[in-house]
Amino acid sequence: MKQRYHISPKGHKEPTEAEIAKYRDPKKLIHNYQKAQQLLHKKPIYKDPKAFLVLLVIVMLAYILSERANDSEQSEDSDTTEQFETDTD
Amino acid sequence: MDPQHEIAEIQAAQGDSRRFTPLYQRYFSDIFRFILRRATDHELTADLTQQTFLKAMLALPKYEARGTPFRAWLYRIALNELRMHWRKRKEVVVNISFLEAKGLSDVVGLPSEDERMQPLALALGRLNAEKARLIELRFMDGLSFAEMGDVLGIGEDAAKMRTHRVLTTLRTYLVQRA
Repeated sequence: MKQRYHISPKGHKEPTEAEIAKYRDPKKLIHNYQKAQQLLHKKPIYKDPKAFLVLLVIVMLAYILSERANDSEQSEDSDTTEQFETDTD
Repeated sequence: MDPQHEIAEIQAAQGDSRRFTPLYQRYFSDIFRFILRRATDHELTADLTQQTFLKAMLALPKYEARGTPFRAWLYRIALNELRMHWRKRKEVVVNISFLEAKGLSDVVGLPSEDERMQPLALALGRLNAEKARLIELRFMDGLSFAEMGDVLGIGEDAAKMRTHRVLTTLRTYLVQRA
């Protein structure tokens, strides 16, 4: 990043206290702080025992279902091979 | 501002975040002006100022008073916010008034006449960001060497030495141009 300087009689316009006061909002700051704190202290899903169990059950179910789908595919394949063999006999 | 009173306020805010408000009220203008000198736009400055105070509140439990003003610590956070904002930009324009540049032109031995300011602006532009930061903090923000050290994470003596080196570099650039 390149930095360029511009020196002029007035420079940048200095804001008045009243202009700055428009942007001063301690309530918003506290609200944002509380929100940030909640996010910071939110337990990651893998550290929450209940969420972890639910996640584990989902993964197990997905694994079982994929295994069953594999098995049924294989048995279908073998059925067609057997049928093909009996037909050729 | 009595330093002991301020330390007591900081300790109170470390225990209860709602007690950060007096510190926020006191330093908001300083931080706003500090950022505005580099960001130029009021809305953007307001966002970056609010973000600076939010980061300060989140980091406050780790804050340790080491004799330098609390303001310097806030400037350090503000500078980090500015750096993050500048990351994606190719060029940053810093507007300086004659009045702000006068202290610097005196130190580098330039007569503070209007026509001599342009070479000074060009010489400043030749400095890398780290060196330019030293000059800005010292002459535009009016920080002491101790405060500069705190903002930049270096010692007071190092801040002093580096600033003098940068001033020598600036003088060389100005002589080269002349």
